[in-house]
Amino acid sequence: MSERRQFVRLLMAIVVVLAAFGGLAFRVGQLHLDDNPELRATVAKTRRVEQQILVGRGRILDRRGAILAMDLTVYRLNADPQMILRDGLVEAYASLFARKLGLDRALVETRLRQPERRQVYLANELSEDDRQRLLELKLKHVWLEPVSARHYPQHNLASHVVGFSNTEGVGSAGVEQALDEVLRGVPGVRVSLQDGKRREMLDRRILEIPPQAGADVHLTIDINLQAMAEGALDQAVQQHRPLGAWAVIQDVRTGEILAMASRPDFDLNAYGRTPPERMRNCPAAYVHEPGSTFKIGVIAAGLNEGIIRPETVFDCENGLWMYRNRPLRDFHPYGRLTVADVLKKSSNIGAAKIALMLGDSRLERYLREFGIGRPTGVELPGEEGGIFRSRSQWDVLAPTRIAMGHSVGVTTLQMLGIMSAVGNHGFLMKPVVVKRVVDAKGRTVREFAPGVASRPIREDTARLMCALLAHATEEGGTGRRAAVPGYRVAGKTGTATKPGPGGYDENRNIASFVGVIPAEDPVLAIAVAVDEPQPEHTGGVVAAPVFRQIAQEAVRYLNIPPSETAEAGAPGDVPSDGPGAGDEEADHADWATL
Amino acid sequence: MWKTASLLICFVLVLATLGVIMLASASAVQGESRYDNANHFLIRQAVWLALAGVGGFVAARIDYHRLKWIAVPLTVFVVLLLGMCLIPGVGLMINGSRRWLGLGWANFQPSELAKLSVVLFLAWWVKRNERRVTTVRDGVVIPMCVMGLVLGLIFLEPDFGTTMLIGVVGMSVLFLGGTRLSYLTLISAACLCLFALAVAHDPVRLRRFLAFLHPDRYAEREAFQLMQGIHAFVSGGPYGAGLGQGMQKQYYLPEAHTDFILPIIAEELGFGASIGVLALFLGIFICGIAIVLHAPDTFGRLLAFGITLTITLQALINVGVVTGCLPTKGLALPFISYGGSSLLMSGVMVGVLVNVALHAGGLISDDDTREIKDRLRSV
Repeated sequence: MSERRQFVRLLMAIVVVLAAFGGLAFRVGQLHLDDNPELRATVAKTRRVEQQILVGRGRILDRRGAILAMDLTVYRLNADPQMILRDGLVEAYASLFARKLGLDRALVETRLRQPERRQVYLANELSEDDRQRLLELKLKHVWLEPVSARHYPQHNLASHVVGFSNTEGVGSAGVEQALDEVLRGVPGVRVSLQDGKRREMLDRRILEIPPQAGADVHLTIDINLQAMAEGALDQAVQQHRPLGAWAVIQDVRTGEILAMASRPDFDLNAYGRTPPERMRNCPAAYVHEPGSTFKIGVIAAGLNEGIIRPETVFDCENGLWMYRNRPLRDFHPYGRLTVADVLKKSSNIGAAKIALMLGDSRLERYLREFGIGRPTGVELPGEEGGIFRSRSQWDVLAPTRIAMGHSVGVTTLQMLGIMSAVGNHGFLMKPVVVKRVVDAKGRTVREFAPGVASRPIREDTARLMCALLAHATEEGGTGRRAAVPGYRVAGKTGTATKPGPGGYDENRNIASFVGVIPAEDPVLAIAVAVDEPQPEHTGGVVAAPVFRQIAQEAVRYLNIPPSETAEAGAPGDVPSDGPGAGDEEADHADWATL
Repeated sequence: MWKTASLLICFVLVLATLGVIMLASASAVQGESRYDNANHFLIRQAVWLALAGVGGFVAARIDYHRLKWIAVPLTVFVVLLLGMCLIPGVGLMINGSRRWLGLGWANFQPSELAKLSVVLFLAWWVKRNERRVTTVRDGVVIPMCVMGLVLGLIFLEPDFGTTMLIGVVGMSVLFLGGTRLSYLTLISAACLCLFALAVAHDPVRLRRFLAFLHPDRYAEREAFQLMQGIHAFVSGGPYGAGLGQGMQKQYYLPEAHTDFILPIIAEELGFGASIGVLALFLGIFICGIAIVLHAPDTFGRLLAFGITLTITLQALINVGVVTGCLPTKGLALPFISYGGSSLLMSGVMVGVLVNVALHAGGLISDDDTREIKDRLRSV
């Protein structure tokens, strides 16, 4: 081989190598110096890790600090179906979990037979004990993930007020929903770089916004009063077999709701298995015609306007009054009754005549002042405003019907408001269930001060009404079963027939009672309603005893001093009972035949 | 040739220094997590570097003509070692390949020694049969059989990268030695076909190859390293992230301290450093070619050519792999990547190259050169 040919061959090799060098240098330069926006974005995305720092939900407590809702750490059981299928352990795991944790075997098997998945959950809320037992087994394909779960230590108590938050931690009913924002807190964010094993690199943290823990909500509810109310309701439910029953206790001075109970109720820890109809918070969300309790508002308006006085006498037409060719009935016929007796004996005709004297304009104004026709604004979701049409839509009969609590839809909370206003010198207070919000550091961030919604009547009118209503619970009054020994109770019964297909149905009633105690200086206002009690159906027989039971226990619990004498503290010259008027509405229904 | 030799040694030392510095940065994470010692790899590399220095010094002092006598025994020895690698229990299985022999405190990779021995054997063979290399028997069959035996054993380990490298270098040595181009082309084509068949039948390699063709489709697994290597270059940008500040060594590049050390250099030191590394290898290549041109005899010339090409090609293939120009191979970057056998053999090869250079410059005279010089003088 000649030197020359060898040189040529060497040259060829050199050229090839140099070309390779050139190409690689170009490639390196291209990678380093070009913009490569897509690649850069990919790199940044791969390296960046963003974590949400979740925080626990705040607690819900009653006014004395008893816990009604809190977060607990539970464990979610996850499994890797792909690996379990590969190792052929589906049946083994299913039977193990069925035995150890009581899971549904078939369900576990179905979840595990998903070869394309690497993670499924098998059980959602395992306790610490379950966790210990599982850890002892040292299972390879399953792992536990701590999650926080909502727990309601009082179960059914005040279930409609407290409400619940769903599995995603979003408040879905009651205060849990209404104050979700403050309970939930603000999750924090942590942005940093991660290494190739997707672990956060602590020394490369870019941003950290600390989370803000959820705040505690203190309710105005007192669990003891709540328990008393619920106990009384349970008894009534047992006795009268109604569709539902509810009761509210309100602090007359501040408007704070001390207890709000509704039947049927449910266990908050099992909300998922509860039909929605059991979840209705009837006192705030159930609109019904109030019946006779509504006369309080109408008569208070008349007294406040000065067009009537307690001793003003009305002709009650012996039980049947043809007004504009339509009959209006009192079930028990009365002749002439004073205004005081119209209230005490609950005469529809008397109330209708007072309403007509007032006139549409004043009647509407007063009732709107009393809060009828608009929501009270209590911090509970689903509150109804009731139905109260404006005057322009009234027909000629409307005032006579409104006077006896028909043609108008209210919530029990609104009725309680009227009664409270009468007991509170004429001030209508805004009802509240939330006393204050305290953040995780113990600072009070929101305080709910008592708020006056309106002042429909003067103080003297209010006092007078109290005195008049106190007679309703005396012997001969419709509400005598509401009387609490040693105390004077001012209150009014109501029995409203429910509208059904083809007019009012006499057999379906809402029996109610609203009242304040003690009458001379009211502290508590209590409203009770029973939906379709059987066979007794009047407010005096069904609702008044419930009121008495609640009131009796409540005054003892709250140390409210008894009235000095049954007569003492009753202001005004109240006419005495008419003879033979001791009958009460127990046998009647104060409905109107239309 | 004194200057050429000095320059060559300088280039190598600069590369080795850069290698140690970057290894300190690149291997810290892996050392920490695997051995609880961030300096685990650094210390070993330093020891091997010292050994490589000694090896290179010794090789530079030995007259390269004497290497003729060990060409055949060395090749036999290498074949034996490679055979031992394949015996389960003797050879160490790491990552599914039997490439290593355990030496107690370190592992040795016989295929590194094979690189030198094949070059040495071919140089010796061509020199011995100088005039007959154009024949089929002496130019093709015998050298190819020996090479094929060694390559076959390496192929079985399996180590496709090294097989390819030694094959190409061997062919080039034969090419320069005078074997007919037509034979070489034919054999290269046949070997390529065999190689392709083997790759197609090895699912791991096949996926690697497909991943190379479609990186996005295999980005999660096979092309993960490849993509991460490219990411390192891109995120390094013109100026780099700063020494020690690279992210890709944080478990993004699993072989950050061995085959994929160049991306770490690129990411931390930027464009200048990666081009610098390429330039240094180019420098080594140019020095090597200068030595080849001035080599006093065919044996020296072929030896120098083979060694230069081994080092340069290995570097080129490595750079090609990490920049996504070639499918992933297990080839280290000479003088920089972590790896004892590779470093030691690279040192020895540079030593031999220096020795050839010294002879070429007439700085060392011996019987062989005297003979040539006499002959030249008589001409």
